Amino acid sequence: MKKIAIKFFLLLIFFGFNTLYASVASAEHYVDGVVATKVEIYQPKPISEMFGNFLKSTGVNALINPNPDELDSQGNKMSNFHKSWGRVIMILITFLLFYLAIAKGFEPLLLLPIGFGGLLANIPVANMAGPDGFLGIIYSMGLANQLFPILIFMGVGAMTDFGPLISNPKTALLGGAAQFGIFGTLVGAIMLAEYTPLFDFTLKQASAISIIGGADGPTSIFIATQLAPELLGAIAVASYSYMAMVPIIQPPIMRALTTDAERRIKMSTMRHVSRIEKIVFPIMVLVLAILVLPDSTSLIGAFMFGNFLKESGVVDRLSDTMQNALINIVTIFLGLAVGSKLASDQFLVAETLAILALGILAFSAGTAAGVIMAKIMNMFPGSKVNPLIGSAGVSAVPMAARVSNKVGMEYDRTNMLLVHAMGPNVAGVIGSAVAAGVLISIFK
Amino acid sequence: METNLVVESIKFMFLGMGTVFLFLIIMIYFMGGMSNFVHRFFPEILVDTNSSVQSTQCIQSIQSIQNDQVDQKKIVAAITAAIKHHIES
Repeated sequence: MKKIAIKFFLLLIFFGFNTLYASVASAEHYVDGVVATKVEIYQPKPISEMFGNFLKSTGVNALINPNPDELDSQGNKMSNFHKSWGRVIMILITFLLFYLAIAKGFEPLLLLPIGFGGLLANIPVANMAGPDGFLGIIYSMGLANQLFPILIFMGVGAMTDFGPLISNPKTALLGGAAQFGIFGTLVGAIMLAEYTPLFDFTLKQASAISIIGGADGPTSIFIATQLAPELLGAIAVASYSYMAMVPIIQPPIMRALTTDAERRIKMSTMRHVSRIEKIVFPIMVLVLAILVLPDSTSLIGAFMFGNFLKESGVVDRLSDTMQNALINIVTIFLGLAVGSKLASDQFLVAETLAILALGILAFSAGTAAGVIMAKIMNMFPGSKVNPLIGSAGVSAVPMAARVSNKVGMEYDRTNMLLVHAMGPNVAGVIGSAVAAGVLISIFK
Repeated sequence: METNLVVESIKFMFLGMGTVFLFLIIMIYFMGGMSNFVHRFFPEILVDTNSSVQSTQCIQSIQSIQNDQVDQKKIVAAITAAIKHHIES
């Protein structure tokens, strides 16, 4: 019995020692680690200093006493105004965007992500729009390289029905005339830069601004990132806000340029468009784009790819994804990435006002050119065109076509122009993609 | 030599509008040709051309263009009414 007890005791000592040793070793290790970090962080501080440091790290302090060394997302020095009150103003502007999107229904799908991206981009200290912040990462992931607008174009293509255009091809001319909004504004912007001392736009910047007249959000963003990335925020906001304001901007111009008789013109019924025509159409347009203007094929190619998948009728899953899941995801990213360009130092500049003014001029010029083109077409023999559908030649699908229909109904309740207006409307998308291709090819 | 940017931008305008119209005019002629070709060699056998088929096609086409849902029902109703009216008249 004694023997067993001694054995047990020895065993206990052995294991006990081992465990003790092990725990001492680990404790030492642990203590080492703590000591090492202790030296860095936990220096005894008086409570007043701790509170002082905390107050220095608050957003209030960052807005009132901006950090003099803070750099913008491009690594340039920012002025004190842009770091302090500029940010407050920008945050208020994003609240205005939220109001317009939620209460007024202005393109909420884009203005909400853009507005929120702008809100996040203007937060001091956090620097989310910088190259390492998440907005900056999204921007460089898909906007700096123009990927997102192309993906959006694919989705738009999958949502577009070219039937009305195929059944009445000559309405495509209206979509072409409305592109005058782009090039007329280009001349206007350059004149503003040359003859007034207020603004100084280069040809590239003027082109990027004037593409707002294409009334096509993704195209505007595509061109702006390529030609004038510093103006992207203002251009995108102007483009989408004016697209939302199409029902306000267009009708007065349409009424001013047409007579009562013209507004009552009834258009002949559309012929039936066969499925094969719809399948061949995207390929045909793409082949023409390849032959005439390869620079436009990145936009037209994506657009026609989406449309081809839809019309082929055999890949409903893919076309459904493009129309819904893909375009929704990309819209979120695109909005946030554009919002990251709403940083105060880039948006609160005099040029923004000029961009907003030129943008509305571009929309108006495009609308007017489309209506006038319809009147010119009516001078030639053949089936008459109601000039009200000319305004739908600015893309803004399908808002502009709806406006044509609404104005037409005001004068003749039985005159349904919506389907007729879809022809110039989708031709306008092709037209602005071609115009974008021309601008790209000029500056190559 | 100082270049006159305004003249430059007017050149852009002519080039741009010219290209857009050139492209669309070519497209219009090709569309016409393509439609004739398709109708001649691949005529579609329309089994039923009554109003219901046409209106469903129209509704489908509008639905595919429409991406906001607020006005969709109203527009579909309007189009259906328009087609009905047209067929009756």
